[in-house]
Amino acid sequence: MRINVKRMLAASAAATLAIGLAGCGGGDSGSDEPNAEGSSAGGEAVAGGTLYYLQHYPFESADPQRIYYGLELANFRRLIYRGLVGFPISEDPNEAATPVADLATDTGTPNEDASSWTFTIKDGVTWEDGSAITCEDFRYGASRVFANDLITGGPNYILSYLDVKNYPGPYKANDKQQAAFDQAIECDGNTITYNFNKPWADFPLAVASLTMMDPYKESVDQGAKSTWQVLSNGPYIVEGGKWAKNKGATLVRNENYDASLDDPVLRQALPDVIEYQINPSETSVELIIDRVIADAGNDQYAVPAPTIPPTRYSQIVGPVKDRSVLVDSPYNFYLVPNFDRVTNVDVRRALAAAIDLEGVVKARGGEFAAARAKSIWNTGVGGYVDNPAFADLPDNGDIELAKQLLADSGEATPYPINFTYSQSDTTDKIAAVLKENWDAAGFDVTLDPLTDTYYDVISKPEKTSDVMFAGWGADWPSAMTVLPPLFDSRPNFSSTTCGNNYGCYQSDAFEALVDQAANATDIDEQNGFLQEADALLGEDVAYIPLYLNKFYMLRGSKVTGYMNTPSSSMNPDLGAIGVEQ
Amino acid sequence: MFAYAVRRLGIGAVLLLSLTLVTYFLFFAVPSDPAKQACGKNCNEEQIEQTRVALGYDKPWIAQWGDFMTGLVKGRDFPADEELRANNPNIVTHCAAPCMGFSFVNQQTVNEILSGAFPISASIAVVALVFWVTGGVLFGILAAMTKGSFLDRGLVGLTLIAYAFPSFFIGKFLITYVSIKWGWVEYPAYLSIEEGGVSGWLSSLFLPALTLALLFLAGYVRITRSYVLESLSEDYIRTAKAKGLSQRTMIFKHALRAALTPLVTMIGLDFAGLLGGAIITENVFAYNGLGVVALQSFTSDDLPTMVGLVILIGSFVILANIIVDILYAVIDPRVRLG
Repeated sequence: MRINVKRMLAASAAATLAIGLAGCGGGDSGSDEPNAEGSSAGGEAVAGGTLYYLQHYPFESADPQRIYYGLELANFRRLIYRGLVGFPISEDPNEAATPVADLATDTGTPNEDASSWTFTIKDGVTWEDGSAITCEDFRYGASRVFANDLITGGPNYILSYLDVKNYPGPYKANDKQQAAFDQAIECDGNTITYNFNKPWADFPLAVASLTMMDPYKESVDQGAKSTWQVLSNGPYIVEGGKWAKNKGATLVRNENYDASLDDPVLRQALPDVIEYQINPSETSVELIIDRVIADAGNDQYAVPAPTIPPTRYSQIVGPVKDRSVLVDSPYNFYLVPNFDRVTNVDVRRALAAAIDLEGVVKARGGEFAAARAKSIWNTGVGGYVDNPAFADLPDNGDIELAKQLLADSGEATPYPINFTYSQSDTTDKIAAVLKENWDAAGFDVTLDPLTDTYYDVISKPEKTSDVMFAGWGADWPSAMTVLPPLFDSRPNFSSTTCGNNYGCYQSDAFEALVDQAANATDIDEQNGFLQEADALLGEDVAYIPLYLNKFYMLRGSKVTGYMNTPSSSMNPDLGAIGVEQ
Repeated sequence: MFAYAVRRLGIGAVLLLSLTLVTYFLFFAVPSDPAKQACGKNCNEEQIEQTRVALGYDKPWIAQWGDFMTGLVKGRDFPADEELRANNPNIVTHCAAPCMGFSFVNQQTVNEILSGAFPISASIAVVALVFWVTGGVLFGILAAMTKGSFLDRGLVGLTLIAYAFPSFFIGKFLITYVSIKWGWVEYPAYLSIEEGGVSGWLSSLFLPALTLALLFLAGYVRITRSYVLESLSEDYIRTAKAKGLSQRTMIFKHALRAALTPLVTMIGLDFAGLLGGAIITENVFAYNGLGVVALQSFTSDDLPTMVGLVILIGSFVILANIIVDILYAVIDPRVRLG
């Protein structure tokens, strides 16, 4: 999933000042580290009470077929929307990325080439209104993804996989089109079979991560008007049945939820009430963190969604630090050379060699905000290995190597580079760090900060950018949602755009490996092809990894069982968290 | 006066329609693609085009403006698809006249969005108005009556200092210190009268209204002070004093009346502007009024909501001007409208 770089970096607005302040408080913070990465904390989790969830931006939709924010997917999966399978509550990346049965009796059975998957729905599982969840509900939910002219937004992977053509969604389909769709997703009692036009080895991962394949009850569907309507099948219901975009909702126990038909590794549903408080303002991150630092009243029972901004690092000391945790986020940031303009591979290698990665991390906010990345592939995504082309580059850059590579390229120096990035206080600082070393290595860098239309501009084939800044997070823990969406020309290129492939990179060898990965029948085999594909991207310098964001999280003092898990995209896992009574 | 009011309302309506036309033109002059934004993150060109057609962004902007005008007069269906309406009526949203459009970002009619947000903005504006008019006039009179004293300079100086700070700073300061650190008031969260009763409603408005009031206070103190001072040196005040009138009567019945005309003008325009949403204050406090709606619609290319806001805010400003002009005649008998 593409990252709103500005939003992601907004919390770092005063990074330089904050680093200074953190330095002043170094005596404390140096000997008072946050909890070890990934460790759960906050005392033994118990049932009951009210948990306050403080969120710093509004969601785009509460419709399962349209949800696409990682945070929302993770939380709603634990609280209100169950799928056929789900990812367990676990801090171990491999365990957390291995689906377990949820509404289905098992994790699905593929056919020989994984182009067809069959699941059996558990008997007795119900919606919040007490009605049974049926195979037809799953099929109807999937059919809504195709109505993307009426209910816009959301992930749409199924459009290219499901073995059906010219299906306009359930609202406009004629009998013939609907019959064809019903063949693509077959229902036989409680058994549902998905038929794809190609292998989909990691289909259960997609089902666990995204809610696009979740069931939807046809009788309550109002198309676009259902955007904020919630019909739960999880342990909580939304009071009033509607999510308020800018305000949130109060979640209370679902009387028709049967815990015996659920798995405690997926959700423990400890609090009696979960009160979502959404503050969509630009200053919300600081205000939310200030409340949790103060830890007064109901804020003692609060779990904030945002990571601690650098401006507050100096206050995370003593007992407050005991309530903090530092983990890797699933979001990687990288540079993309424009292959239509920077055509010489030695020039691209020189760009990579010169980068002061440590300086970039400092500009991002330091060790609590970011860590150096050695691939575009996030460390929490299954099959991760360092990209050999970038693994051994020195932390501070190698100016002499960059000069040598530039000389070997045969290009005249200084070599002009137009560096385009989404402008914010933090990216301005990162750009300055990059420019300093590139200029020293023989480049002549022009900074090109853009604002709101950033991704529209860098997607265009005729852009004047030589190098661009971008961010990405996997849609599910598979590099199939990283490498092909970003570097395969076929789904990205058209006459007017290079899509998410901002560098307009095209390689037959890379695409052949992607095809082999797509046709793989098991995940290990698939990861093998993707590792080869990533290495090829490194050789071609199709991207240059910079850093992955860190999540530096805080919680109220009366929150129990707190943990950030890979299965919740490294957000606080609401499936495990409770509050003291 | 009636003919005057009707004429001004007519001119106001034409002005409003011109504003919507300009908004449409400016929106399409900016190089952004609302269809791409609405379609989602993994859409290919074909899907984006499909969304563009579904949202009506494939039509020339002037035709889209024509559809908007039709909606104002006759109402509209979203999506405007006869077949869908016949086969799946509950999927189609009917927006009755005066329909200001349908926000594809929020999947709601603009009328619903604005009617949900307006009470919040209006509440903040009303309470802030009470704060700043009461404070501004009283402090202004006090300053005038103690002209040149420490109190006079202190009052004018302090209000100017408050005026010098931007509203986001005052708002954040009040939240961070008054609410979070000192705990004097609960963390502000808007409560309607239905949710919290009148006292809960007023309590929830205290900090945001105070933020706005501090911003407006300085102007009102200075205007009141200078007009009262000017009046106090007039012959009719001297005559009133010679007649033995009390100081209170002199000030409130005679001197203050001279300050009312400029004050009413300021109040009308300031209040009308605030009814349209205090963008910064509402955002700092996360009160989901028209200011928050405005910011979100601009950052998400939500043209229908933007146009609806233009109409609403424009209406407030135009109406306030008309009301102020009419009030002149009431306050000052020398003014005649016709």
